[in-house]
Amino acid sequence: MIKIIYHLIVLFLTINLIWYLFREKQFWAQVSTAVVLVMFILRLLLIK
Amino acid sequence: MKEKINRHHVIAFCLLGLTGALCWLTGLQFLGMHHNDIFYPSPGLSKQTKLSFYLPHLADSPGDTEVFCFKGKEEGGNLLILGGTHPNEPAGFITAVLLLENITVSRGKVFILPQANLSGFTHDDPFEGNPQRFSIETPGGKRWFRFGSRLTNPIHQWPDPTLFINAAGQALSGAEVRNLNRSYPGKKNGHLTEKIAYAITELIKKEGIDLSIDLHEAAPEYPVVNAMVFHENSAELAAVASMELQMEGIDIRLEASPPSLRGLSHREWGDHTHSMAILLETANVSHGRLKGKPSEALIVEGKDRNYEKASKLGMLFVPYSKEGIPLKERVGRHLATVEALLRGLREIDQNLTIDINNFPSAQMVTERGIGFYLHPPK
Repeated sequence: MIKIIYHLIVLFLTINLIWYLFREKQFWAQVSTAVVLVMFILRLLLIK
Repeated sequence: MKEKINRHHVIAFCLLGLTGALCWLTGLQFLGMHHNDIFYPSPGLSKQTKLSFYLPHLADSPGDTEVFCFKGKEEGGNLLILGGTHPNEPAGFITAVLLLENITVSRGKVFILPQANLSGFTHDDPFEGNPQRFSIETPGGKRWFRFGSRLTNPIHQWPDPTLFINAAGQALSGAEVRNLNRSYPGKKNGHLTEKIAYAITELIKKEGIDLSIDLHEAAPEYPVVNAMVFHENSAELAAVASMELQMEGIDIRLEASPPSLRGLSHREWGDHTHSMAILLETANVSHGRLKGKPSEALIVEGKDRNYEKASKLGMLFVPYSKEGIPLKERVGRHLATVEALLRGLREIDQNLTIDINNFPSAQMVTERGIGFYLHPPK
């Protein structure tokens, strides 16, 4: 159960980041978002 | 209605693609650590099994590590050698590999677990910048070995509690729940690391192990280094072995296992089984807090300028010069100590004699290198 909650939290944050990536107009802010997104996707897929 | 695609949307799509590519590349690297190392046991191997043989719960789990058994024709003592309790302490792991790829046993039984915490080999410590692997040159090419983490992979055991109270009743910080050498005697239905500890304790009991040796490494600034930590049931053996080593010119510190420090191999094996319990430590700069840039060379050659300076300032507990403390010297030290313990065991009780042939001697390993004693890669 706790793993499902964890996945849901990470999924929510990942979707938020993707949403922000498309909404943001400043290039460097978009790059920063993409860098953070890498870690969230790896965490979402439990790759370590 | 046709929507206008803005410039920042195009950039977002491109960055999303780049993110996917980065995830793919880094993911492959991370997942590469889940591929097991290959060992080539010597022809003297009698039996190869898994740790789940001693605790069926462990079957097919990330903690189900290999157990190599070498049995002599004559009855004698039984020995357990554990490497890879902490996968970021490579001398213990490589010493075990060197033994299993070379020895034959004519009297007694020898059990070797080169990767006691197999899960710890599947990841490395965050923020340390350590290489995922290191290589050793053999006459037939390079052999690669994983350099893992001190702790079980959180993918395999999660979440950590705030406070970990181990099976022996010691309260520890939460992350120690994934430290095999804080989890003894283990729990049959506990977390993965506790199950591994339980299975190892069961192995010692079921196989009637007389002497158990846990091979480790520590930072040169840590007081318990180049040391033999012994349970009180092994005090005589440790003293005899220490004298033998000193006669060979190898300085070793004797440390009695503190009775109040619970959950460690040298304490719980001695308390919960009939085995004598010993833990060995060598000095590894790649393990230390003063080290410079982590690298494969740092692990294998053990040279670091910061440690040279620290040594000059008298901050270390071992001698350290610009030659460093290479892996072959650390492995040699472990081998010499294991040999001295076996001689000591024979002196204490003839019935516990364990005769090992083709034992790679410390001197030869230091002179010829580790690779000379490793099977070339296939």
